[in-house]
Amino acid sequence: MSASYILKRVALTFYTLFVVSVLVFGITQILPADAAVMMLGENATPEALEALRQQMGLNDPVWLQYLHWAGGVIRWDFGISMRTGQPVGPALFSALGTSLTLAVLALALMLVLAVPMGIIAAVRRGKLADLAVGFLSYVGVSLPEFVTATLAVLLIADFWGWLPPAGYIPLTQDFVGGIERLILPVTVVSVMMIAHVSRMVRSELVDVMHTDYVRAARLKGLHPRRVLFRHGLRNALLPTITIVALDVGYLLGGVIVVEEIFSIPGIGRSLMSAIQARDLPVIQAGVMIMAATYSIVNFAADLMYAWLDKRIQYD
Amino acid sequence: MPFNRRAFLGSTVAATALAAVFPRVSLAQPTPEAGGTLRVAVDQAVSVLHPLLTRVNPEYLTAELLYSGLTRLGRDMLAEPDLALSWEGNEDLSVWTFNIRPDVTFHDGTPCTADDVVASFQAILNPDLSSPARNNVGPIDKVEAVDATTVRFTLTSPYADLPVALAYNNARIIPASVIAGDFDSLRSTANGTGPFRLVSYEPDRMVVVEKNPDYYDPARPYLDRVELHVFPDFGAQVSSLMAGDIDMISTLGPNDFLRLDGQDGIDVLRSESGQFCNVNFGTDIAPFDDPRVRRALALTVDRDAMVDFMTEGFGTKGNDTPLNSSYPFFKPLTQREQNIAEAKALLAEAGLPDGFEAELVASDRPAIRTQLAVALREMAKEAGITINVITMPHATYLDQVWTKGAFYVGFYNMQPTPDGILKLLFTSDAAWNETRWNNSDFDALVNRARSTLDTAERTDLYTQAQAMMNDEVPSIIPAFFDVLGAKRTWMQGYDIHPRASVFRLDHAWLDASAPTKG
Repeated sequence: MSASYILKRVALTFYTLFVVSVLVFGITQILPADAAVMMLGENATPEALEALRQQMGLNDPVWLQYLHWAGGVIRWDFGISMRTGQPVGPALFSALGTSLTLAVLALALMLVLAVPMGIIAAVRRGKLADLAVGFLSYVGVSLPEFVTATLAVLLIADFWGWLPPAGYIPLTQDFVGGIERLILPVTVVSVMMIAHVSRMVRSELVDVMHTDYVRAARLKGLHPRRVLFRHGLRNALLPTITIVALDVGYLLGGVIVVEEIFSIPGIGRSLMSAIQARDLPVIQAGVMIMAATYSIVNFAADLMYAWLDKRIQYD
Repeated sequence: MPFNRRAFLGSTVAATALAAVFPRVSLAQPTPEAGGTLRVAVDQAVSVLHPLLTRVNPEYLTAELLYSGLTRLGRDMLAEPDLALSWEGNEDLSVWTFNIRPDVTFHDGTPCTADDVVASFQAILNPDLSSPARNNVGPIDKVEAVDATTVRFTLTSPYADLPVALAYNNARIIPASVIAGDFDSLRSTANGTGPFRLVSYEPDRMVVVEKNPDYYDPARPYLDRVELHVFPDFGAQVSSLMAGDIDMISTLGPNDFLRLDGQDGIDVLRSESGQFCNVNFGTDIAPFDDPRVRRALALTVDRDAMVDFMTEGFGTKGNDTPLNSSYPFFKPLTQREQNIAEAKALLAEAGLPDGFEAELVASDRPAIRTQLAVALREMAKEAGITINVITMPHATYLDQVWTKGAFYVGFYNMQPTPDGILKLLFTSDAAWNETRWNNSDFDALVNRARSTLDTAERTDLYTQAQAMMNDEVPSIIPAFFDVLGAKRTWMQGYDIHPRASVFRLDHAWLDASAPTKG
């Protein structure tokens, strides 16, 4: 992996973020709502509105407003929320922390379940275990998370009363209560990813186990388990990294729905309520943070790929 | 005493008022027990903590827990003492004197005096702050401290409802030192004289308050702690109430109400209210500048069907005026019913024998607006009127249509007084003059009603004003919504307020079966 490759990927990531920032800013400009009215409410006098517009530079040309905003973002200043009058950055990053807790736990659960499921299905190809995994993953892929979430709440919380139906408690505040409230949302978010990834692992592993080098390994008398893990899985997992990285995009979207249903104060919910209230600085910052997360994860996936598979050096 | 209409009216109103002041005291009531944490579900984030700038119910609730007003609004829609112990208006009701409770302290221990009251109202009236209270606290010209416990309000015109108006949700008393100093600090911290003190504030998740040991009422509040949990999803609220994870839901829709009704351990709460969804006419834009056209459309409305369809039965019929029996000084007019033949005749008279086509704008929040628009479209068809419903995002609607449009759907909460709703929407000087009806006779009636304390006379004047609206129909008001809520049976001392934005949790308490008790 050469330095120029990494540099190129870094430059590409920044370019992506620049394009996203222009798009986000452009779209929020097109939204038909007077930011000053949204901020001061229906009771504001025309003079107060005009003064606020001047103060916020809403009367400046759009490109100048963009430069002001982008300049702020580079200095880590995301502006002032129109609803709360508080700085956007700290509130959103704390929400991002909540979402990341949810996302990381979901990813962990997915890896713990999906990879073994894929392996079992591949090893016992055509047997009952394979069919069961196949069936479950089809169900998982076809159920959107708002359906799984509602079903989970109805059955597990309302009917059996095993877990609290909604709410969020930071783990640092009350670990047990926090975990109890995270089980359902984490499971719901991970269901579709488990389905994706287990199918991916299975089909890759089946392919790899039919390659010449795996046959060679077998023929030279290696223990089947060693063949499976050392030669099979290691190669089969490579494409899985790509799928996982792509799934982070899905995760960011799925988290929005799940946060809404389970009343989790994450970045998805901040974004939802900001969109409803036309809180432009929060929308802009929220979308930027999500886009940045996605770009960084994919960048990391590319690096990992190159590191794991020495043949991928691009140049 | 000679029997006449006015004396009769006065006596019934007095009797009604009496019944309202003493509701349900005849039954043996359990003695409130102190202690416990009350967990309340609210449906929106508490985005604004600043008590003069709150705009939605969860924010009003938070401010009510932390701050006091001069007065507060009882369930009977009359003013009750809060920081003001008593008040009095002069002969023509243009100067009011309020006596402030002595020995009240803010949460930081500093005393709350008349100077703080004066500074708070000056802040409210300052247009630069744009406090929603500014348009709602009455025609205040000047606020002065007479001495440490007396405040005098001088008004620009007589105003009988001043004590009620001062109970407005945003008219809270804050320390003069904060107003002069770091005013913005109230966006993230709180320093009031309310029954509870702020413990923690996370806008999108939870607000926690604890009992104020120095509250001016030694008996209350009963609760040690109140937590407001933000649940944007109604299903999650209901599930959490059933699981016993929360004790009370502040606002509920009809479907969730029916789901909770009859469940063990849960009380559903319901109150008639003056909340309505209406169809506004830009009365300065053809064809709606002709009262006959407006009345014709009002005659196409099947109001029973509207109550069923819009409120799912949880509501009452409207009569094209914003007042109903939830308001004081109310006397019903003859109920307008659907009459297609008369509607067609009126249209013909107005030179539109073949009907007309119009675009009705409904914003997407709350969804009920679109429901009303679609229902009216179907009902108006019968009279040959073609309505095209246009749905748009709420922010776009506020920007482009609201108070400007020719034909659009509005949605309003109940106000504390008839004057409050009429001056908010329908007089020529209305803060939100939605219909540009600008009827000077109507204005005169409303103004006369606000300059007398005589209940019978006010009832008579508001009835005349209602008749004028019913006749000229600046707006079709087909139905009123009941306000709905729910609580666990272990929570007591709470009932839902018709105005939906008043909570009075200082009266609430938890009995021994509550999980957070002990």
